[in-house]
Amino acid sequence: MSTAQLIQGNEACVKGALAAGCSFYGGYPITPSSEIAEQMVRLLPKRGGVFIQMEDEIASLASVIGASLAGSKAMTATSGPGFSLMQEHIGYATMTEVPCVIVNVMRGGPSTGLPTSPSQGDVMQARWGTHGDHPAIVLAPASVGEVFDLTVKAFNLSERFRTPVILLYDEIIGHTRESVVLPDSVDITNRTHPDVAPEDFWPKEAPPAGVPPMPGFGDGYRFHVTGLTHDHRGFPTNDGDIAEALITRLHQKIETNLDEISEVETYMLDDAEIAIFAYGIVGRSAREAVIRAREAGIKAGLIRPLTIWPFPTAEVAAAAQQVDTMIVAEMNLGQLIGEVERAAAGATEIVSYLRVDGEPITPTVLLDLMMPGTGASS
Amino acid sequence: MGRNEIRIAGAGGQGVVTAGRILAEAAILSGSHATHSQVYGPQSRGGASRSDIVIATEPIAFPLADNIDLLFVLSSDAFAKYEPELGPDGTLIVDTRCAPESLNGDTPQYAVVDTARAVSGGQLVTGVVALGVLQAHTQCVDAEALRQAVAARVPVQHTKMNLEALDAGMGLVGGESS
Repeated sequence: MSTAQLIQGNEACVKGALAAGCSFYGGYPITPSSEIAEQMVRLLPKRGGVFIQMEDEIASLASVIGASLAGSKAMTATSGPGFSLMQEHIGYATMTEVPCVIVNVMRGGPSTGLPTSPSQGDVMQARWGTHGDHPAIVLAPASVGEVFDLTVKAFNLSERFRTPVILLYDEIIGHTRESVVLPDSVDITNRTHPDVAPEDFWPKEAPPAGVPPMPGFGDGYRFHVTGLTHDHRGFPTNDGDIAEALITRLHQKIETNLDEISEVETYMLDDAEIAIFAYGIVGRSAREAVIRAREAGIKAGLIRPLTIWPFPTAEVAAAAQQVDTMIVAEMNLGQLIGEVERAAAGATEIVSYLRVDGEPITPTVLLDLMMPGTGASS
Repeated sequence: MGRNEIRIAGAGGQGVVTAGRILAEAAILSGSHATHSQVYGPQSRGGASRSDIVIATEPIAFPLADNIDLLFVLSSDAFAKYEPELGPDGTLIVDTRCAPESLNGDTPQYAVVDTARAVSGGQLVTGVVALGVLQAHTQCVDAEALRQAVAARVPVQHTKMNLEALDAGMGLVGGESS
């Protein structure tokens, strides 16, 4: 076991990526994610990897997809404005089933917004920013240590399911330094390579909810890559049955494996009468507020998704059945609250606390919401 | 000590951010949990700058300052910006140069800026002098751990000067440590 060290979330992201086997970084620096690029450019070449600063974020993700097709584990990191530019290629990587990791360190928006302030404004964009029916895996760490763990998980899930995985955290998580003890080694998942001869290989041949094996360019397997709807040979088709089967499979390979993907933390929830639903840095405020509320004799609890997409509907529904009130706290004007309401289906009273002034939601305000006599407590 | 929130506030160039990192690293060396956050943006380019350090015996739920226990002010701008945010139970320490006349006479004052200038000829080690004062005044971290953290963080050619600055800061606190 290593000793405790004081590092930033963005540093933990780099350490997690390298531990997971990342060997390619293509990106364009942007606050508040720039420390990731700054450290990658120092560390990757020394390990035989490649760092390239592209001309913009469209090209950045294109380079990542290309590197992954050639067999590398590849990533990029950005913030809102760059994340917007990446949307087209997120869809392309989803359709072509190219593993890659995209980090979005959220800052205030829209547009260039508040570059140095935290936000959770990109939660819905991470789910629906790219067009068409598509699945999404989005992980939301709440601490420096969790950034490390979930960066590793992001790489592993992207390799396991041949899909882009988005790591979504805010400026506070990116920049705050915390004492962490990082593991000496981590469990690594690698993409499955074909076990047939090149002449017998079809690049997109897979069972209904399956993940096709993936050779690298240059491994001796010839394959065609296209964002157009394609058949098992990888070539475009307008056949409706094939289109439906492909889109359904892209979803089902994720949805039938939620036990590998979904992660939800609960804290003091067992006998809670009032719960806070929060993620990312707000989850940390909520945990502190729950601790203080319990000290004040209030039966408070926390439900915090680490995987925000696919949304943990079952877990939120179960919590909603149990508590009288659920406070949803987000640094946006209400994004995941819609999913919470859908999952709760009227089983509990839902109260929102939303903030978009670039300042964090503090434990004190969440505690005040839970104190008797306020709107949220019964 | 459950949770101790310390804010060191001063001007850009005083080494306030570095001092905060050193304090958090010293706390870790002392076996505590610690977090450090700083201001990004225009404030860090010459105006009021600050470092927030949370030190706790237990894992830290909320990593940012929520209710400052101790505010150490090293510039007039920082005093104007951050003193009003200090709660009634918070402790204030100020540099003698930035203490307004209206300041409560019981507020501890130390010649941090002047000492830093005497040690280094400039302001770069102001934050480290403040750490010496802070340690001697509050014992918030172990003195030896702080010494180790300073030596580990500053450029090797400046280690001697920074350790002198730390000792000078500790020396500013007479028999009045609380």
